Amino acid sequence: MDPVTIDTTKIKPAKKKPETALEKLEDTGLINTVLAAKEREGLILFSTVDQIINWARLSSLWPVTSGLACCAIEMMAVAMAHHDIARFGMEIFRASPRQADLMFVAGTVTKKMAPRVKQLYEMMPEPKWVIAVGACASTGGPYHESYAVLKGVDLIIPVDVYIPGCPPRPEAWLYGVIQLREKIKNEGYGAKWGLNK
Amino acid sequence: MNAAEELKRLLPNAVVSTGIQINKPLAVIRKEELLKVAEDVKEMGFDHLSVITGIDYTDRFEVVYNFFSYGKKQNLVLKVILGHDNPEIDSLTTFWKGADWLERETYDLVGIRFTGHPNLTRILLPEGWIGHPLRKDYDMKTEQFVMLGEDGEDVVSTDGSKLLRRK
Repeated sequence: MDPVTIDTTKIKPAKKKPETALEKLEDTGLINTVLAAKEREGLILFSTVDQIINWARLSSLWPVTSGLACCAIEMMAVAMAHHDIARFGMEIFRASPRQADLMFVAGTVTKKMAPRVKQLYEMMPEPKWVIAVGACASTGGPYHESYAVLKGVDLIIPVDVYIPGCPPRPEAWLYGVIQLREKIKNEGYGAKWGLNK
Repeated sequence: MNAAEELKRLLPNAVVSTGIQINKPLAVIRKEELLKVAEDVKEMGFDHLSVITGIDYTDRFEVVYNFFSYGKKQNLVLKVILGHDNPEIDSLTTFWKGADWLERETYDLVGIRFTGHPNLTRILLPEGWIGHPLRKDYDMKTEQFVMLGEDGEDVVSTDGSKLLRRK
């Protein structure tokens, strides 16, 4: 008598909960779009909307031209050829806050300058990011017990990245910029659902 | 003979004492005789008034004038001692035009009034600021904020709720 053979192909496996990004794509069926495109020797780039938008945003951060103190000298060094933030698409310092989406608070925020800095920030269109550069803009720095200096620019506007230093070297500055790019990369719903990895 | 001793020879009643302050000849002079001394100092060739400083010693104020002569390449320091209550001194704007802003600065930060000054208003801090910050009795506890008025002018207030972020 022949042994009973079980046809394993007919057994449906229990549905696995999608975990990785690829499995989630398969789960939604969107992967078929990709495969179809592949069959057609497709010229279709497949991505999430978030990823595309974030990529576009972080690749052309345009800072507003504003410097408050000696850190602004360092900002010029960062923009010049040796360190060259044009590599990040940031070389266009806009003269108008209406066209900028990044503000370097580069220097001491005095009490007299504080409302102007705030107005500048409010004039910038969304989405906008702020980098506080140097000890003064982060905490007040050497002027912490002064009558005329604000103890950190985050008292008046929200700050995304703080760069310590007095003033920070251009390398530190570039590291801060890269940190901001990482932050922008992980914004939006896609990152929350694990699709932006 | 240095410039301070020469000044003492010219005006023995006005100069209280002479000495040296950081390699510069120093003359401590009487408050009432300042304009007379200034006239002589100008005639001695000190054509540049480089700095006016006010110092609070808690029991007295001192006003320090630093002069320089481009012709003689010499320095001269004048010092005037004032009482702590209501410090007031004559303005030197009639002799040196540059004294204008220097005196305004000293008035702004130390609170010494210069009589005869054409426009004795604050120069660094906005109008309405409470107190003179370089005084020893300046109140550091009440924080003052500057906000923009309707025409873009500075408005000083101790209430920073319009400027600061809500936490």
